[in-house]
Amino acid sequence: MKRLFLALFLALFVVLAMGQAPPVWGATPVEQAQQAELDRVRAAVADQVQLTAYDLIDELVYGWVTEPVFPASTPVVLAGVTVPVGLGTGLQALVENHVAAVLAENPTTNIQLAHCPACTATVVQSGPEVTIVSRGLDNPNVLAEIGSATGRHALFLDIEAEGAWLVLRARITRLTPDLPIVWSHTIASSASTPPLLRQPGDLKSATQARAEYLDALRDRGPIAIPARFVIRTYAAPGDQGGVPPPPFLWLQTGVELGANESLAWTSSIVVGYSFIPQAYQGLMAQARISRLMTGRTRSHLRPDLYGFFGVSAISVWGAATGSFRTEKINADEILMDSVGDGPRTTFGAIQLGLDLRLGNRIGLAVFLETMPNLSDSRNLGDYIAVGTIGFQAIGTEVGVCF
Amino acid sequence: MEWVILVSLALASLVFVTDPAPGPIRLRAQARNMDCEHISAQEAHQRYPGIIAAAKPRGDYVERRAMVCKERLMRPGLRVAQDDAILSRLEDRAAELVGVAMRPDLADRTWLVETHYPSGPVSAKIAFATKNALVQQGLAVSDRTPVLGVDDLDVITHMGPWQAYPAACRRYADTGGMGAGDALLAVVNLDPRETILHAGLCADGRWEWLQ
Repeated sequence: MKRLFLALFLALFVVLAMGQAPPVWGATPVEQAQQAELDRVRAAVADQVQLTAYDLIDELVYGWVTEPVFPASTPVVLAGVTVPVGLGTGLQALVENHVAAVLAENPTTNIQLAHCPACTATVVQSGPEVTIVSRGLDNPNVLAEIGSATGRHALFLDIEAEGAWLVLRARITRLTPDLPIVWSHTIASSASTPPLLRQPGDLKSATQARAEYLDALRDRGPIAIPARFVIRTYAAPGDQGGVPPPPFLWLQTGVELGANESLAWTSSIVVGYSFIPQAYQGLMAQARISRLMTGRTRSHLRPDLYGFFGVSAISVWGAATGSFRTEKINADEILMDSVGDGPRTTFGAIQLGLDLRLGNRIGLAVFLETMPNLSDSRNLGDYIAVGTIGFQAIGTEVGVCF
Repeated sequence: MEWVILVSLALASLVFVTDPAPGPIRLRAQARNMDCEHISAQEAHQRYPGIIAAAKPRGDYVERRAMVCKERLMRPGLRVAQDDAILSRLEDRAAELVGVAMRPDLADRTWLVETHYPSGPVSAKIAFATKNALVQQGLAVSDRTPVLGVDDLDVITHMGPWQAYPAACRRYADTGGMGAGDALLAVVNLDPRETILHAGLCADGRWEWLQ
């Protein structure tokens, strides 16, 4: 019976020492569901901090590249890696692998990762007075054998979530019975800072990476060639009104110019063409000025929203363009227009809109358009009227910038 | 139709709101999960050049300051409240403890660190942070942990903390666990309900509570 209790006690001790919660025996379904939800949330947090943890390790190894701890290549045992309490061992394995990968890519650190089973294994040492059960690293006699023979050192890494910061602590200990700490360092990074995603073979300091990022912002060029696909729909008139124009599809291209390197102000001039067989054709020219509304510099990392003001000259012709008249039109007149080239109308328009830019390449815009010389047309209504100005058309556009 | 414009403007102000205070689109729990700090406009511009404008060459008309808020990594409830309270300010706490322990007459000693905290993983992290803080002060630090015999442990574990730590310190010196060139900084959590860490110093067989 004594042996059974001892075995149970030892098993419980090992589980607790490994920092793992014992299985929830006899838990109710509600408790099991809560535990599952907790595990899911913890896994989500681990996913979020993984890249930041990698960044901190890159920064650590970059420090060793610029200022090596050892003058010559030295065997170092990766003795312990701990991750934020509560985030489990999956993240720990990822961090260990990343440390090994980055160190292998950077031999100039003079840190040569060494395998040391006796360091991390549980070692039992029996003597006439006492029996010691411990990790090899915690046993002075084991260390005396390991360290004196090979001159090895042990690297300990600890990553912890402290408020909004992820903190990496590292220390290197010489594996002799005195266990002196020969080097230590602490780095912190905010998890909301975008990860630098440095290449293992081309490490940079955070300052250099930031300078590269700012250079990329400045050097992306103030000129772009946009290509836009636009749909305009026109408001139906009220009671007793005529027939509104059909939706118009436009393809537009031109040039977009930034006022300065921050691209806070941009302007564009585009020409467009519209063609639906048997219905209408159209040509248009548009000038637009846009103002960045989210920040003062266009970002590479998050979407940017612009507000814009534009003016257009639009010329349309074909059977379906009869509605761009001020007089009321009916179905008979539309049928009559289908004979021959049909009517031709040229008018001006003013746009106000919002343009969402994604990754400096893709744009998604929505705008309201007013046509002053068609404001009293009986074939058009207003979607929105502000004072005496009515917006007769709503448009959406999807654009790609080259 | 004017009310449409007004409502749109009101909605736009909600969408682009940056105030971290609780409101229509931010719950109290979310606001509570933020870590905020006040910084100067100049520092804010250096940290966030695309978001915070630099001061004008002739100065701004009003004094500007920035409040930077970041969401905590570990949401409330993901780990034990006491652990979370200790770990969320571990770097500051470790630096504070080391600052209290620094004494000119112990500057040339080899420092050992011992932690007593209910959770093993948290205890290891406290020790790690304390050792790093000591090394950053230019002190010689060792990973060694002084040990006591079974008989000593049997006696000491039956004492209260106010007697146990001085007794252990004496026994470290008597049994050779700590030499004349060693100093031990013990970081202790005396009550599992408290979220502060106490520190004690053991040198030459004499124990001293630091805080």
